[in-house]
Amino acid sequence: MDKFVVNIIHRPEMVPEYSATVTGQGKEEDIGDKALLTESLDIFKTQQRLAHENGLKVTIQMTYAALFNDEAVEIAKHDHEVYGDEIALSLLGLPCEEFREKYKTKDFCIWMFSMEDKKAIVNDVFEKFHDRFGFYPESTGSYYMDADLTNYIKETYPTVKCAVATCWEEGPKAYHTCNNSWYTLFDGGPWAPWIPSKQNTHAPAANETEDCGIVAIPHLSRDLLACYDGNGSNFGTHPQNVLRGMIYDTKTWEFPYLYNLIDQYRDLEKYNNGYAYNMMFVGPGWMNKMGRWEQPYELLYKSYSEGCKYYGDLKKEGKLVDMTMSEFADYYRQKKGVNDGNYNEPECALWRDILYGSDKQLFWYCDPYMRACVNMDQGGAIVDLRPYAAKLEWPVGIGTPHVQDASYPFLIQEKYRAGYFTHYAGAGTVRSAKLTYKGQEVDLCLCPTHAHFSEEVIDGKKTRILTLDPVEIEFSDVTLKLQTKEYFEEGSSNIKIERTVLEMSDPAAEILLDEYMTACYGTTEYPEDMSGITLACEGKDAKTINYEYKCRDAASEGATAVSATIPAIWTKVSLTPSAEALGYIEEGYAFSPMFKLGYKKKISDKEVFATWLNLEKAN
Amino acid sequence: MAQLGKGKLNYRCPSCFMRDLDIDMFYNKDTKIYSCIRCQYRGTEEDVLAKNEMVRFRYGAMAQRFTKFDFD
Repeated sequence: MDKFVVNIIHRPEMVPEYSATVTGQGKEEDIGDKALLTESLDIFKTQQRLAHENGLKVTIQMTYAALFNDEAVEIAKHDHEVYGDEIALSLLGLPCEEFREKYKTKDFCIWMFSMEDKKAIVNDVFEKFHDRFGFYPESTGSYYMDADLTNYIKETYPTVKCAVATCWEEGPKAYHTCNNSWYTLFDGGPWAPWIPSKQNTHAPAANETEDCGIVAIPHLSRDLLACYDGNGSNFGTHPQNVLRGMIYDTKTWEFPYLYNLIDQYRDLEKYNNGYAYNMMFVGPGWMNKMGRWEQPYELLYKSYSEGCKYYGDLKKEGKLVDMTMSEFADYYRQKKGVNDGNYNEPECALWRDILYGSDKQLFWYCDPYMRACVNMDQGGAIVDLRPYAAKLEWPVGIGTPHVQDASYPFLIQEKYRAGYFTHYAGAGTVRSAKLTYKGQEVDLCLCPTHAHFSEEVIDGKKTRILTLDPVEIEFSDVTLKLQTKEYFEEGSSNIKIERTVLEMSDPAAEILLDEYMTACYGTTEYPEDMSGITLACEGKDAKTINYEYKCRDAASEGATAVSATIPAIWTKVSLTPSAEALGYIEEGYAFSPMFKLGYKKKISDKEVFATWLNLEKAN
Repeated sequence: MAQLGKGKLNYRCPSCFMRDLDIDMFYNKDTKIYSCIRCQYRGTEEDVLAKNEMVRFRYGAMAQRFTKFDFD
């Protein structure tokens, strides 16, 4: 049976994010302000009422501050008894007088503390929770949960089986949107629930040994096109975020985008064996009586009320199942086949623009070995690639090399590293192909199209296939029709891209096909040191280049693979061909800190040529 | 002139919003002008609201309800 699951989460936050700094502008900070505490609790009660009126179960994530508030504790106990809400524990909402007094810091993001402090805080809040409720929680979370933190929690409090563990593509874009003052840097993770590996939260576990023991859910369900391109905080299943983006009619206060977003998520069940997921988690600061930015309280209230009603109506129509987080964790492990030992079922999303009025389409793929984005508007080019196969250990927080930056590094990221188009010189990161004929060149990045999804068993392996509508390519005296198919074989750690020449106006014409990948590594817009990378043409005529920004290149006819080994991120990436072709490698230079791997082959009418992009751990 | 403060709602700078920056503006109660401390935008409430309508130009499908999400 197809199932669309929603998790509704509320947190009684005694000092809501934004309330103290935004509506308290012009006042001295008073973290114990009684009026603020009362208002915060009122917002929580309102949120609970709206969910329950619409027949929805809630996961109540108690904050540390709320554990000191008798009324918040009593509400949680009552709503657990009456509505079946789960009482869970959030690692958000740490700020309060008691926390400040004890830890002598204004830090509030659990992943940024030192490991010593993380352990102390976890022990403190979990024991305080136990004191108030008489049991340990089954669910927890924050905006981000680093692997060391999650492993510690699971080891110390094994009851925990579900956690909010990342916020999709909340990284440099969110940082910039907040005037470079919001340090939630954790791009590169899954957009839908997953089981994190013990090594890196973003990278899903490939087997039981890597399984960290919890099911992770993302903080909100985000627009897979709008969030990738712009400020993530405007485009998610958070009604007030939609208002933040000004995506509503100011006269009618209508916001159909929110419902389009929820419905597109529902539609993803087609690509995931009849399962789709949503998460709504609105902190109380977003329903402030003083209003939020341009929106008065009445509009904030309306949006949350109608958001709950939409989910509630879907439930009444039998199109949605509401679960608590811990219920979902059990369901997820069963549904994804993990209970039978299969960790490799991918998450797939063929996603269209539902906001800007274009017909652009992306395909997102995530499994334990990679996260990839295919852009149909660029002829099926891969425009984002995260090599999870490396299971990169990347500790974060004070005392580690990455105090704030928790992003999983990319090999390709078209927004941060140019993609197809660059200014004046150099190259940007992308995996595409070029066709050349008599000195003319066409890159498939300039051939917009659409794709269709299918799932087949090929040579005994489950494979997700993306079949792109054929594109027409015009040279001065030859035209051809080319089709691209992209294959994602379950558990293979590779992507096969197959090009087929369907028609050619001059069947005798010989076109040169150049399959290429331009890449680098990093987590932000700024370049990293490429020294230490080794490029290789593998096979009988082996050649290597140790990266020194010298703009060198090498080629080898019949190369069995062309590869790059990147020690900084423990990754080896390679291309391999389906037939003999000229493999080549290119080093970049200071103004173009990239490397390029590729194969060139003459192709003619009806010919098929495929290449594989392979990812391996290399450390 | 006394220091700037907040208006009745917490308007963001429409010019910065268009470049994906959320910057609160501050209000001069004498001149009734909102101003951005990051860029050079200045405007009355009426002008802010008009510019906020303008920034929505990018949302070409904002009022549309979708029922189909693929191109099959």
